[in-house]
Amino acid sequence: MPFDFWAGWVAVLTLSSVLGLGWFVFSIYFGSGQEAEDSGTVWDGNLREGAHPAPMWWFWLILATLVFSVIYLMLYPGLGSFAGAMRWTQAGDVQGSVAAWESRFSAKRAEIAAAPLDALQADAKLMAAAERIYARNCAACHGTEATGQANLFPNLKDDEWQWGGHPADIETTIRAGRNAVMVGWGGILGDAGVRDVADYVRQLPHGATSDHPGMAQYNQFCVACHGIDGSGQTLLGAPSLADDVHLYGGDAAAVEHSISAGRAGVMPPFGNRLDDMQIRLLVAWLTRS
Amino acid sequence: MNAVELHRKLENNAGLLIFGILFVSAIGGLVQVLPSVFQDALVAPSENVEPYSALQLAGRDIYIRESCGNCHSQQVRPLLAEVQRYGPYSRAGESAYDRPFLWGSKRTGPDLHRVGGKFSDAWQRLHLIDPRTVVPDSIMPGYPWLAETPVDAPDVQRKMRVLRRLGHPYTDEQIAAAAATLAEQMEVDAVVAYLQALRAKP
Repeated sequence: MPFDFWAGWVAVLTLSSVLGLGWFVFSIYFGSGQEAEDSGTVWDGNLREGAHPAPMWWFWLILATLVFSVIYLMLYPGLGSFAGAMRWTQAGDVQGSVAAWESRFSAKRAEIAAAPLDALQADAKLMAAAERIYARNCAACHGTEATGQANLFPNLKDDEWQWGGHPADIETTIRAGRNAVMVGWGGILGDAGVRDVADYVRQLPHGATSDHPGMAQYNQFCVACHGIDGSGQTLLGAPSLADDVHLYGGDAAAVEHSISAGRAGVMPPFGNRLDDMQIRLLVAWLTRS
Repeated sequence: MNAVELHRKLENNAGLLIFGILFVSAIGGLVQVLPSVFQDALVAPSENVEPYSALQLAGRDIYIRESCGNCHSQQVRPLLAEVQRYGPYSRAGESAYDRPFLWGSKRTGPDLHRVGGKFSDAWQRLHLIDPRTVVPDSIMPGYPWLAETPVDAPDVQRKMRVLRRLGHPYTDEQIAAAAATLAEQMEVDAVVAYLQALRAKP
C-alpha cells in the first residue's frame, strides 16, 4: 500500500489531540506547580484571589470520554486509512440492512409476486397496500382516483386501454414504460384536411357516413394505425377512435390539434423503481372489478 | 514544562492565547475538511458521470435561482428506507460537476437526486407551471414565468467557459454549439432537462 500523506495526517493529528488532552488534564490535576489556595494578594482591603482545584468528577468525566474515544478509534474507521477492528463501512451498513430486510421479506414478497390475481384482489390488506403503492408512484400523473387528468394521462378506471388491458400488457406497460408516437399531419393534410379528418374522426363513434369529406384522407393516412373502423391497435398504442374516450380531449379544437401537431404520450418505465411484488399488486389493483 | 505553567503562560500573553485558541478550533477542520479537498476518491467524477449539457446547465442555474433547493434535497442517504424510496444512495463522485453541490438537508418536498425518468417531460412541465393541475393537494408554488422566459444562451456559454477553467471537460465545439441548442428554449425546458438528468448513473 502506498504511503498516503493525508491518512497519516489525520491519524497523527487525531492521536496527538487525544494524547495532548490527556497529558494536559492529568498535569492540571496531578502535576506540580499548582496554584496556592490563596495567592496572598489582597485588593481593596478585603478582595483575595483564591484558587479552587477543579472538582474531581470533571476529571472522571474527561477520563471516560478519552477512554471512549480510544476504544472508538480502535473499533471504527477514524485513524486515516485504518479500517477499525469491526471493519465497519457506511456502504456495508446499508448493504447489511438491505440484506436483512430481504432475508426477512423476500420469500413472502416472491409468493405474492407469483400469486393469482384474483387471490390478491380478494385480500383487502394487499389491496390497501397496492393503493399506497399506486398513490406514491402513479397518482402524480394518473390522478389520486386513477381516473386520469390534465388531458394527458389516461384514465385507468375505464375499459379503454391504449396499450392493452390484459394483465400481461399492463405489467409490460408498468415495467418497461411506453412511448406513443403520433406524428403531426398538418403539413400533409393542410388546414382544411385537418378539419375534415377531425370531423370524420369525431363522427366515427356514431357511424360516420361514407360520403364524409374526411373519409378519403382518413383511409389514406390514418388507417395504418387506427384501423378502417377506428378501432385502434393496442400493439402500437394507437387508441380506438370508435368510442367517446378521448385522452387529449374530444372537442373539435383538441382533435384538430392532435391531428395537425401529433401527440407523444410517455409512460416512464418503473421496472427499476418497483419490484416484482409491487408491480404484481398494482396489476391486481388496476384490473380488479 | 507542565500544564499548569503552560496554562499560566497562555493566560498572560494575549497573542499566544489567540494563536492557541485558533489552533485548537482549527483541529476539527484540519482533520475532517482539509484532507477531503485533496482526496481523489471524493473529488474525481464517478464512472459515467458527465458534465451537464448546455440545456441541463441552464436548468441547474434556474433551479438555484428559484431556490428549489430550499425545499428539495439532492442527497439519498445510505439508509434502508431512503434507498427503497428513492433508489441508490448518493455518492461523492456524482457531484464532481456540481458547482456548488445541491445536496441540502431540507425536505419540504421530496428528494430529487433520483427523480430523472420518474415522470414524463410533459408532466414535469405542467407541474412546474402549476403543480395543482396534476397534484391537487400539492403545496409547491407554481413557476409560470419559466414558460415565458427564454434561456439566456450567451450567459450559459460564459458559464461553460468558466467551468472549463475549473476542470469541466467542455470542448470549444460544445460551447459554440450551445447557442444553437439553446435557441428557442424556454427556461421551463431547461429545468425539465436538468431534472430528467438527475438519476443514478449505471
